[in-house]
Amino acid sequence: MDETDITFFKDGFRLDGRRAEELRPVKMEVGVLARADGSCYIEMGGNKVIAAVYGPREVHPRHLQEVTRAIVRYRYNMASFSVEERKRPGPDRRSYELSKVSREALEPVILTSYFPRSVIDVFVEVLQADAGTRTAGINAAAVALADAGIPMKSMISACAAGKVDDTLVLDPMKEEDNFGQADLPIAMTPNGEITLIQMDGGLTPDELHQAVEMAMKGCRDIYEIQRKCLVEKYSQLEAPAEEVHACE
Amino acid sequence: MEGSFVLPGDVVGSSEEFVPGDCTYARGGTIFASTTGLIRIDPKTRAASVMPKANAPVKLCHGDIVVGEVIDMKESLVILSLAFKKGFENRPLSDEEATIHISNVRNSYVKDLRHLFSIRDIVKAKIVDERQMRLATGDEDLGVIKAYCNRCMTSLRRKDGKLVCPSCGNTETRKLSSSYGLGVV
Repeated sequence: MDETDITFFKDGFRLDGRRAEELRPVKMEVGVLARADGSCYIEMGGNKVIAAVYGPREVHPRHLQEVTRAIVRYRYNMASFSVEERKRPGPDRRSYELSKVSREALEPVILTSYFPRSVIDVFVEVLQADAGTRTAGINAAAVALADAGIPMKSMISACAAGKVDDTLVLDPMKEEDNFGQADLPIAMTPNGEITLIQMDGGLTPDELHQAVEMAMKGCRDIYEIQRKCLVEKYSQLEAPAEEVHACE
Repeated sequence: MEGSFVLPGDVVGSSEEFVPGDCTYARGGTIFASTTGLIRIDPKTRAASVMPKANAPVKLCHGDIVVGEVIDMKESLVILSLAFKKGFENRPLSDEEATIHISNVRNSYVKDLRHLFSIRDIVKAKIVDERQMRLATGDEDLGVIKAYCNRCMTSLRRKDGKLVCPSCGNTETRKLSSSYGLGVV
């Protein structure tokens, strides 16, 4: 299939009926795994991702441990059945890269100095992929970290912006990602501190500016969903408390 | 304010008004929550803290009962590698070491520590100093809860207040806990 074969917009709407600045439907569930210290399942459009957090716990192999802080390990893995054509199981170049950038997106907010000589393990399994799995993984991992009670400076939410048919779009789906002109995933704190920014394809400086603004708006919307999801779970455990909603 | 539900990064209060307590951190004159939970204000100390609602990592305090393995012994000191805190068995402690001084082993005089502990023993003890991680085993329910024969490494069985190896017949002594060999902490 060629890019020219696809019409990305019809009457101002995208292939799945969304507007350019609209997110795909997001569904989130906390504490789905009994054996993990914290876990989260997320559906972002066609993406289905599960994240599990273990720790802080002993570091093995021992030589990896740091005497002043905990180390964070993040494993991003795609199930062999997560894509149309069977993916060869196991780590590959892409998943190593995504593990690294996702870890670096979460690490700045984790208060690792509280747990010297230990490790916080984050496992992200992609069950079904539909473009934007790294952002879905980061969103799920941040909620799973909060579920595990890991001390953090703030939450992290992630979202991508893209460019198709010379138009900027929020949260590109598979067709837009594969045949579009650009993809720009970002992760940030609710205060607007960006911890991940990558770009694939080409954008003009003006477009980059707009795309970042668009993705940041998407992140804020996702943060509200993450917040709602955690409040729903933990307010059930005790009489509902008045919710404070403020970030610097 | 008090009792409000907060997430990491939410504002708990101002540094002018409160002192940052547990599960909070201060930045630029503002106190933020570092974990998911409910705000608690101590009216005496004016400490604003967050009571974790999530499955938070275990924090060790004075009086907590912990279980660990003897990893080294000195003339007047037993060194333990802690495994978990009582009541939080599914949240293991990470690389935490603690010591039992000869004076905290039991309420009576102890002549030789080697008669009461041995390397690889599993010990149940109470924290008496959480800063220096010093433990005590004076109470009846505290002490060795599992021990192995020093000759053949078989697990020892309790018989008339002593430990007997069912394999080689070796007899050993320990500061035994009342729950020795029961498998319950």
